[in-house]
Amino acid sequence: MKTNILSASFKTALAVACCASFTACTIVNTAVLPSDPKMHSPFVTTGDIQGPYQSLGLLQITRKGHLLFGFVDLVGTDIQTGFTETLMPEVRRLNGDGIINVRFHQTQVLPFTQVVQAIFFPIPFLWTEVTITGEVVKLAPGGTVQPVLQHG
Amino acid sequence: MKHLTEHILLLSLALGLGTGCTAVSQAGPLSSRPFEGNQVYLSTGASPRPYQTLGFVQATGFGNQVAGVITVGDAQLDGTIKGALVNAVIKMRGDGLINIEFLDENPQTPAEQMGDLADSMSVDKNGNREIKTRWRSVHAKGEVIRFL
Repeated sequence: MKTNILSASFKTALAVACCASFTACTIVNTAVLPSDPKMHSPFVTTGDIQGPYQSLGLLQITRKGHLLFGFVDLVGTDIQTGFTETLMPEVRRLNGDGIINVRFHQTQVLPFTQVVQAIFFPIPFLWTEVTITGEVVKLAPGGTVQPVLQHG
Repeated sequence: MKHLTEHILLLSLALGLGTGCTAVSQAGPLSSRPFEGNQVYLSTGASPRPYQTLGFVQATGFGNQVAGVITVGDAQLDGTIKGALVNAVIKMRGDGLINIEFLDENPQTPAEQMGDLADSMSVDKNGNREIKTRWRSVHAKGEVIRFL
């Protein structure tokens, strides 16, 4: 009886350890979008800018998709694709010089969940999306992008 | 068995390709800088002048999208910011709203809209037709200020 209790406890501890090893992790998503000092491409900043500008409007882009087999992002629902494939063309379409006060969010999925999806791939449940918002602006003639310094 | 696997693969591929799409939500311009005029100053960024904080405000516009193409209710960025939020600023006797953040919480992609339209037009086995509606909401918030 005692052996059975010990065995059950051991199994529970093992299951918890397995779950922890699968689920305890950090997911990092990055987007490489270096600013262009010569302004050949629109600037993107999460902050404000100094100097005069004309507001062209608010913009939100959302890319929705499904991770095929848990890992294959067919349509690009990551922040890199969101910025380069959708946001930048929209800013250009609006004739903007850049977009300020940008906020972004990408769905983050645990690797464990991705593995489960890969096993049960006929049931598509890993819906993912990326959302980016900001204010499109046109700089005054001769204007440059100077960030507003934050004083703590 | 081979056919089944092929069908499953094709179905997954179709789902992956067919469901991925881009939704773009837009709203009209906010205030430009330098700011002149008597209207309420609106910006996703900072104030153009020294100011006093009066408080904070948030608003959510709710609505429905019927059959993928008809939008009813208040779930629009322009209406929520330039309507509800500006009214709140005026009630608080503020001059402006800064650091505005906004989110169209469930924008519909063209694929979803077309799907809803097709669903709404199709007739089921019993001869019934069900108009598909989706809940929509737009959220916005900011800091109410008065210029010094």
